[in-house]
Amino acid sequence: MQTKIKGLSLWCAVLSSATVLTLAPMSRAIAAPDARIDGFYENATYGREGVGLSKFRNTLQLEGEKRFGNVGIFSNVSVNGTLRGSYDGVYDLNDDEYGSEAGGPIRLQDLAQGSVAHGNGVGSPGSAVPLPPGNTFGFDTSQNPNDGLIVLGEHLHDQANGVAFGVPVRPCDVDGRGCIDGYLDKDEDELRFREFNDNLDFIRELYVDFDLNFDNGNILSTRLGKQQVIWGRTDLFRVLDVINPVDFSRNNIYGELEDIRIPMWILKTDYRMGPTEVFDGLAFDDLNFQLVWNFDEFRPHDIGQCGQPNVILDAGCFFRGMKNLWDNGGTVANFAGATPDGGLATDFGPGQIGIRKANIPDWKLSNTQLGLKMEGVYGDLGFSLNALTYRSQLPSLRGGIPAENGFTGQTDVWPSLIAFDIHFPRVNLIGGSVDYYSQGIDTVFRFETAYTSGEEFANTLREKLYSESDVARYVIGADKNVSIPFLNENQSFLFSGQIFGQHILDHEREQRTYGEAGIPDWEHNWIGTLLIQGFYMNNRLIPKLITAHDFRAQATALAPSVDWIVTDRFKVTAGANFKVGDGARKFDDCRSCNPWDPFTQTPGVVNQQPGESAGVGGFEPLGRFRSGPIGMAQKEDEIQLTVRYSF
Amino acid sequence: MRYVTMKTLTRTLIAGCTAGLMATSSLANEAVITESFYPYKTETPQFDGLEPGMVIDQSNVAQFKDIIDPAFYRFIDQGWTNIVVGENTSFDLHPSYVEATRVALDKVTLGEQVGEINGWQAGRPFPQQPEADDPRAGEKLAWNYKYGYNWGDSAAISPFYWKYRDMDSGDVERTITFNFHFLNYKGRVNQEPTPEITPNPSDLFRAIYVQVLDPADVRDTQLLIHRAADDLKRDNSWLYLGFQRRVRRLATGQVTDAFLGSDLMIEDFEGYNGRISDMNWTYKGTRYMLMPFYNHNELTLDAETHQDDDGYQVVAFSGKGGCFPNITWQLRKVYEVESVPVDESHPLSKRVHFMDAQTFTIPRTVSYDRKGSLWKTFTIGQAHPDHHLPKNEGSGVSIDDSFSMIDVQASHCTTGQFKGQVDPEMSPPNMFNVQFLRATGS
Repeated sequence: MQTKIKGLSLWCAVLSSATVLTLAPMSRAIAAPDARIDGFYENATYGREGVGLSKFRNTLQLEGEKRFGNVGIFSNVSVNGTLRGSYDGVYDLNDDEYGSEAGGPIRLQDLAQGSVAHGNGVGSPGSAVPLPPGNTFGFDTSQNPNDGLIVLGEHLHDQANGVAFGVPVRPCDVDGRGCIDGYLDKDEDELRFREFNDNLDFIRELYVDFDLNFDNGNILSTRLGKQQVIWGRTDLFRVLDVINPVDFSRNNIYGELEDIRIPMWILKTDYRMGPTEVFDGLAFDDLNFQLVWNFDEFRPHDIGQCGQPNVILDAGCFFRGMKNLWDNGGTVANFAGATPDGGLATDFGPGQIGIRKANIPDWKLSNTQLGLKMEGVYGDLGFSLNALTYRSQLPSLRGGIPAENGFTGQTDVWPSLIAFDIHFPRVNLIGGSVDYYSQGIDTVFRFETAYTSGEEFANTLREKLYSESDVARYVIGADKNVSIPFLNENQSFLFSGQIFGQHILDHEREQRTYGEAGIPDWEHNWIGTLLIQGFYMNNRLIPKLITAHDFRAQATALAPSVDWIVTDRFKVTAGANFKVGDGARKFDDCRSCNPWDPFTQTPGVVNQQPGESAGVGGFEPLGRFRSGPIGMAQKEDEIQLTVRYSF
Repeated sequence: MRYVTMKTLTRTLIAGCTAGLMATSSLANEAVITESFYPYKTETPQFDGLEPGMVIDQSNVAQFKDIIDPAFYRFIDQGWTNIVVGENTSFDLHPSYVEATRVALDKVTLGEQVGEINGWQAGRPFPQQPEADDPRAGEKLAWNYKYGYNWGDSAAISPFYWKYRDMDSGDVERTITFNFHFLNYKGRVNQEPTPEITPNPSDLFRAIYVQVLDPADVRDTQLLIHRAADDLKRDNSWLYLGFQRRVRRLATGQVTDAFLGSDLMIEDFEGYNGRISDMNWTYKGTRYMLMPFYNHNELTLDAETHQDDDGYQVVAFSGKGGCFPNITWQLRKVYEVESVPVDESHPLSKRVHFMDAQTFTIPRTVSYDRKGSLWKTFTIGQAHPDHHLPKNEGSGVSIDDSFSMIDVQASHCTTGQFKGQVDPEMSPPNMFNVQFLRATGS
C-alpha cells in the first residue's frame, strides 16, 4: 500500500487563498504616518462535540511599518514587520484529549478473536497462529507499549473489517513514537507556543519595499524579505495561490488564509507599466509583469500532527502511526489473510511496513522556487497568466524502499509493500485567471485555472504505490449584491458562489476480485461554496453563512458566524461549524497487494501475481482521499467564540 | 462707376453688419460666461433682515424660511442646530476652466437619450442660464455638475475622517480614517497633460482611489473606481481587502448600498455619484438660499481629531448628536433640481439638490424615501481655497471641507472632516491602476 496526501491536493487547494533606463525620482503620494506600530490581542475559544475544548488560543500580534521615502535611486522605501506569538491552552486545559495525558490502551479488530490488545496479534508470543521458521513478526512492546494510543480513525468510524493500528498522540517530547524528524515532530511547547520554533515563526513577516521609477513612467516595485505572495482571484480555494505553504493545524481548512499562510523569504518584483498601448489597436488599461523567487529553505504545509485538534484529513495520524510501525513495529487489525470479511490482527516487526523517513529538500539553488506572472486589465476584463515551478507542499508517499520480509527476514525491495519514504516532488504549474463585470446582470464573474505536472498520487495499481498525473483545476465564481428589503432596507446582501473543479488527467482505476484498485482520489470532482453576508447596525453587526459541499464525497460544511464590532478596537465573533452528509468512505487498502509472495496471497484470488492488489478495502488509509477534509472532519462540529482587542 | 460705388457700399454695409453681429454675439457670449461664473460681480444677494454675523436659530428661523431648504429649516426649528451667517463671497473657479467653457460655448449638445452628450471636451458644458420651459434644463444642470471643476483635475483628501454617530446619544460609534484621491482623465484644463491623460484605452472620464488607514479591522482596504466617459456604462471598481490581500472586482450596480456602513450611499458621494442616465432630472427654479460656504481658516476648528505639522485642523461638529458642522453659511444663487430614479426599486423616491450656481457643487441635498417621507439630508461644507491650506490658494477649487449626512428616520448621522489638498503630486496617474492596490497592500 502506498499512499500520498495528494488527495489533500484537492482540499489543500481549498481554504476558509525596454524601458528608458534613466531613473526619475518620484515622490510617494499617500499621506500616511511615516512610522506605525499597532497590533491586537485575540482569544479564540472553540468547543468540539464529544471532545470539549478544542482551542483556547491566545494571540498577540504586533505590526510595524517605517517609511523612508526616497533613498538614493529608490523611492517609496519602507520596512514592514509583523511579529506573532500565541499560546494555545488546550494542551493544558484538555490534556487528556490533546496533551500529555492523551490516548490510552487500544484493542484492534481480529477475525478470529473479535479483537486483541495492541501487541497481541499474529506474531506475538501469545499468538496461536503458526508462522514459518525464520519469520520476524512481532515487536518489542516495551518500545511500543499499549498506552498513549488511539486507533487510527477511531473518532470517525469503526474498524469495520479494515486496516487499523495504534497511533501515538502525545507531544513528541512526552512520547516520541511516530514523530517524523524535521516534519511532524512538535514537542509540547511547540504545540502550545506555535510560533516559537526553530523556524522563528514569531517573525511572521519582515520585508523591505522599494521602487525604481523610469522616465517613461514605468515602475519597478520590489519587495524583499519574509512575506506572503498571493496569486489568483478566488476565495477559499488555492488554485494559483500556491506560493506560500499553509498551516492547516491552525484551523483546518477554515482559517483566513492571511492568518494561516506560512510566510517565506521571497524576492518579488513587479514591472508596472500602467496603461500601455502594445501596438495600434491593442492597448491595456493596466499591465504588469511579476517575478517571484522563493529562495527560502523548503517548507511543506503543516498538516497537523496527530494529537493536535486540527489534523487535516487525519493524515498526520496516519503518518504518525505508520512511522511508529516502521520504527517500532506494531499491531495492524484485520491484516493477515484479509478478505472483505476481515483478517487476523498482525504484529509487524520494525522495518517491515510503515514510513521510514521524510525527505525534506535541503536548501540549494535547484530547490528554490520561481514564478512569473503577467497581469493586467483589458477593457472590462482583468486577467493574469501565471507560471510557477515549485516543490509540492503536500507529501507524497513513495514505496519501493528496502524493507524486511516478515516471513523470511530478508531485506529487499518488495512490490507494492506498504513501506514508504515521504517526498515533496517538484511541480510545474501554468495557469491564469480572469474577472469580468457583467453590467447587464450586475454580477462579477471570476475564473481561475491551473494545469500542473509532477504531482503524485497514491496508486495501488503501481508497484511503488504511487504515480504521477497531470492535474487540471479551476474555479468559477460569481459575486452579486442582492437587495432583500424585508431583511435590510439600507444595504444589500453579498452572495458569492464558487465551483471548484479538479480533474486528475492520468487517473487509473481497475476492478479487482474484491473491489476497485488504483488512485483513490476522484478522477473528476467538484466542490461548491456559497457565501451569504449581511450588514446591520452600520456594518457593526455582520452575519454570514459559508457553506461548502463536496459533490463526490457527499459532504457538506455549514459555518454560520456573526461579527459584532463593539468599538473600533473591540470585536467579538461567534460562530459554529457543522458538517452533514457522508463521512468516512472506503477504498483499496493494499492489504491484498501480495508483496511477500507466496506468503501474502489473498484467499480466494486465483493466480495472484506479486504486487498485485486484489482490491480488499476499508476506511483506512485511502478512504480519506475520497471523503475529503469535510467528510474526514464529520465528527468535528464546533462552536466558536473569538474576541479581539486592537491597539 | 456708380455701380462700383453701390457695390462697394453694399459690401461695406454687409461687412459692417457682420462685424456688428459678431461683436454683439461676442458680447452676448461673454455675458453668459460672466453670469455663469461670476454671478456676484454686479449684484450681492440680499434678504430682508439677514446680516453677516447674525445667528439664525429656533427663535428667528421663521423669518428666513424662504432662504433655507425645508429639511434644514426643520432642524433649526426643532432646536437641533443654528446657522451663523457669513458674508457672500465669490468662489471663482480656475480661469482655465472658465476659458475652456468660453472656447466650447454653444458647441455642446445633449444626445437623444438621457446620458448622452455631444461635443464636450472641457469646461462647463451648458453655462447658459436654465430656462423653465426647457424640458431638459435639469439634465443640463446635472451635466454641469458632472463636468464641474469639483476637485479640479486632481486632488486628495488626506486624511478624511468619517464618524458614525448616534444622533440621540451623541455617541461616536465608529471613526474611519481614509485617504481619497481624485483624478480626471478627461476635461483637464490646468494640470498637464491637458485635455486628456493618454493612453486612455477604456476612455475613462475620472478615477477615484480610496485607502482606509484606520481602524484596524478595515485598515489597508483600498477601493479603486474607474468611471467611463460613456455615461451609459457602469463604473468598474476593484476592492483590496487587507485581511485577504487580494484585489477583487466589485459589482457596481448596487450604488444605493450604505458605504462601509455609513449613512451615505455610494450614489450620494459629492452630492450625486451615479450616472446621469439613472435619473430623471427636473429643473425646479433659481433662488437665493443660505448655503454652507465659508473660509476654513476663520472657523473655530476641531483641535482633537487631527493634528499635523502643517498646523491644519479639521472642521468641528456640534448640535444634536454632534451631527452639524460648526461653519458659516452665506446667501448664494442656487438652482433647485429634482432627480427621480429611473429604477422603480430604488430606495429613494427622489432627491432635491440645491446646486450652487457659481461652482456647480451640490452643498445641500434632501432625500425622500419610497413613501415620499423625508429620509436623509446631506450637507457638504464648501471652503474657499484662498482661506484654507496654503497649497490650495489660487487653485480655483471650491474645497469640499466638511459633510454631514443625517438619517432623520434612524436618528443617526455620519460626519466627515476633510483635509482637502489640490496637489497633483499626491494623485499621480499610476495610483489609479489596479496594480497599485496590490503594490500598496501589505
